[in-house]
Amino acid sequence: MKNIFTFAKEFRQRVGAVLSMNQRNLEYIYPSNNRVDFPIADDKLLTKKYLLKAGVPHPETYQVYGYFFDLRNLDLDLSERSDFVIKPARGSGGGGIIVIVRKENGYWYSVGGKQYSLEDLRRHMCDIIFGIYSFGIRDEVVIEQRIIQHDSVNEITEGGLADVRLIVYQHQPIMAMMRLPTSASDGKANLHQGAIGVGVDIDSGITIHATHEGSYLDAHPDSNVFLIGRKIVYWSDIIKIGIQISNLVPLKYLGVDIAVSHEGPKVLEINVRPGIEIQNVNGKGMRRILAATRQMQLDVTKGA
Amino acid sequence: MAIKYNSVLARQYVFISLIALFSILPISIMAYKIFYLDYPLTGLIPVNSYILDVKMQADGHGDSMKMSTFLPKSDSRQTILNEMSSSGAFSLSIDSNDMNRMATWEAEDVNGHHNIGYSYSVQAKHVQYVIPDNLLIPDSYPESLGQYLKEEDGIQINDPLIDQSTKKLITDENPSILDVVTRIHRHLQDDFANKKFSGFTDAITALKLGEASCNGKGRLFVAMARHLNIPARLVGGVILKQGSKRTSHQWVELYINNHWVPFDTINNHFAEIPANFLTLYYGDQALFKHTSDINFQYMFSTKTRLVPRAEAQEVLGESVFNITNFYSLFQKVGISQDLLKIILMIPLGAFVVVVFRNVIGVETFGTFLPALIAAAARESGLMWGLLGFVSIIVISSLVRKVLEWLQLLHSPKMAIMLTTVVVVLLLLAVIGVNLGMIQLAQVSLFPIAILAITAERFAILEAEQGMLKSIKITLTTCVVIAACFFVMDSLFLQSMILAFPELILIPVALNLWLGRWIGMRFSEFIRFRKLIFGPQS
Repeated sequence: MKNIFTFAKEFRQRVGAVLSMNQRNLEYIYPSNNRVDFPIADDKLLTKKYLLKAGVPHPETYQVYGYFFDLRNLDLDLSERSDFVIKPARGSGGGGIIVIVRKENGYWYSVGGKQYSLEDLRRHMCDIIFGIYSFGIRDEVVIEQRIIQHDSVNEITEGGLADVRLIVYQHQPIMAMMRLPTSASDGKANLHQGAIGVGVDIDSGITIHATHEGSYLDAHPDSNVFLIGRKIVYWSDIIKIGIQISNLVPLKYLGVDIAVSHEGPKVLEINVRPGIEIQNVNGKGMRRILAATRQMQLDVTKGA
Repeated sequence: MAIKYNSVLARQYVFISLIALFSILPISIMAYKIFYLDYPLTGLIPVNSYILDVKMQADGHGDSMKMSTFLPKSDSRQTILNEMSSSGAFSLSIDSNDMNRMATWEAEDVNGHHNIGYSYSVQAKHVQYVIPDNLLIPDSYPESLGQYLKEEDGIQINDPLIDQSTKKLITDENPSILDVVTRIHRHLQDDFANKKFSGFTDAITALKLGEASCNGKGRLFVAMARHLNIPARLVGGVILKQGSKRTSHQWVELYINNHWVPFDTINNHFAEIPANFLTLYYGDQALFKHTSDINFQYMFSTKTRLVPRAEAQEVLGESVFNITNFYSLFQKVGISQDLLKIILMIPLGAFVVVVFRNVIGVETFGTFLPALIAAAARESGLMWGLLGFVSIIVISSLVRKVLEWLQLLHSPKMAIMLTTVVVVLLLLAVIGVNLGMIQLAQVSLFPIAILAITAERFAILEAEQGMLKSIKITLTTCVVIAACFFVMDSLFLQSMILAFPELILIPVALNLWLGRWIGMRFSEFIRFRKLIFGPQS
């Protein structure tokens, strides 16, 4: 029988392994990321500039609309396009994103099968410009290339684009997960909207653990495809891109979201406030490895 | 080795110094006020205050009319504040002597039905006297007490029956005062039935019947005491209790050891007087006197509420560092002390929200919305405040759904939402007034723009994360509003902040501390329960 002291010790160790929200903000985000640099991540157009300059693969931008006036030729701009993605440049949490996959009889259809007329799209873009998806701040509409997902990822995904979220701190990849849309998440790869989180081993790129809506699972609830023990394709490239981005931007604690297209990894966006749910998804806390990386950095600074 | 300049270290020093400053400074000022300026600390605990409304009615038939009643005086036990009269066509005169204060309403050629009202608030203390047990009945008293030893109408101290019954009761040759008054008190309390009879009963009648109402027992007590050479007097007043009634009350006071000591043999108060006894007059008097044939009616309506002690506020007004000067500045521009009190409480409400968000880890609509709603709900009460809040959010988000369907652009839509909130607030006020729920009408003080934004957030959250999630956050917001309300409505804390406004720095110190607190939020223990409590992986 365990006595109370060993129990308390183990409890403290376990609590000490988990990164809390307060600690993430105070010890990692605030000291690592300067407020003035937040737009590099928050503004997808600015992110794209950095990515373009360094030659990091990412979806091609078709159009940018910053004013209602710009939308006057929307008809012409979209006439030849049957698959594309509409995004707010400064949106958060995946809000305001529409993924168009085909065009039929003058209507566009989203990945979920919803029908959009030109006027529907124009109104949606007006909402974006008005800042509905970006806390009331004026925003810009980005029309970009739709990513065709790699077949090996399609095997484990249902109806939507999956992505890899990589936490990078001081140029070190800390923790990774893959986010798989479900029918419940309406094609969105956001955990709080019902996507599946699959923990991925950083070194091997093999999936180790999965959660959905707070509970552990082994198989995709829509397709029953087994999710654990799969090797993610292009894994070493994905890690390389994560580190490359951390060298590119002045942000020292960030989340990098990378989609796996049939042409290889493509960076979707970067995030200065990556969530802490990734710990549940991986079935382990990330405080220890963060602390070790931090200590290493402090030692390096002191040595210099 | 010299310590190298280190910004992390420097920040830590500044941080700790600020916390120390913001905790030590207010506590020092407070200590200075308490120990050096003699601020009354006990006076900060709120007391029950009563608002008594005396209503009188009469019908005139063209003649002159006169009505009078006693008004209470402030003394060491009771404090009378906020006296207000509504006299209508009558002229009010108040005649005060060293014992009683009498109000008289007079008018000539009065016709028809008339209402007169006089209201005041009362704060009184419970007082209990200890009578030394070795005290004997003095042989003589100062001349001024002579009137309290004499025979009066209805107080027949020289009647043989009084002599008989006191002899029967007190057998000792040389009894102590304590013994005498205990025996009389017990006899009247235990052997005489309490009777609800509002007419006049003299001492002898009460004695013969063996039962009496307050005035009969009172007269008998006074008669027996005076017979035994203890000065005694009748006291008239009202027992304060929430509600309306017509009954007044009488008890007695005996002059013992240089104090007038109260006794009530209806409610068994021996040498004590409860905090809800309001003294109106001394002596064997009628509470109301009026011209005959005017169909005179009266009623006492009492409301209770907790208020800061009157003495505390008075002392604050007199003291050097006094805050009432500070308030008089604001009063000049029309900001009431009440409003200032609430403004001073908002930092405390904000701190409660911080605890809920950063320590407990619940989500709320808007960072400080709960504190603001709690401040606004002060007038309406918590229940109506929450009801108003929830109905505004629900109705506005329903309206938003309609607007969403109409496919409107953002800003015009928000303007309509704002209008909806205004209309709902006004409707609630109208419903409240019509149904006699005045408190509900007070929700119109809610922060309108913030509510419109909250309704919008509620709707977006509902669309993006489902009804369940938005209801959950609404509920947690309500819980945090309630918590803020209880803290901000605490009379003790309000009195403290009024007396020691420097205490506003304490929440700043606490916020500084919480601002660098990296511990797990309570909700994170639940969120990461599998990592913390689950099987080791």
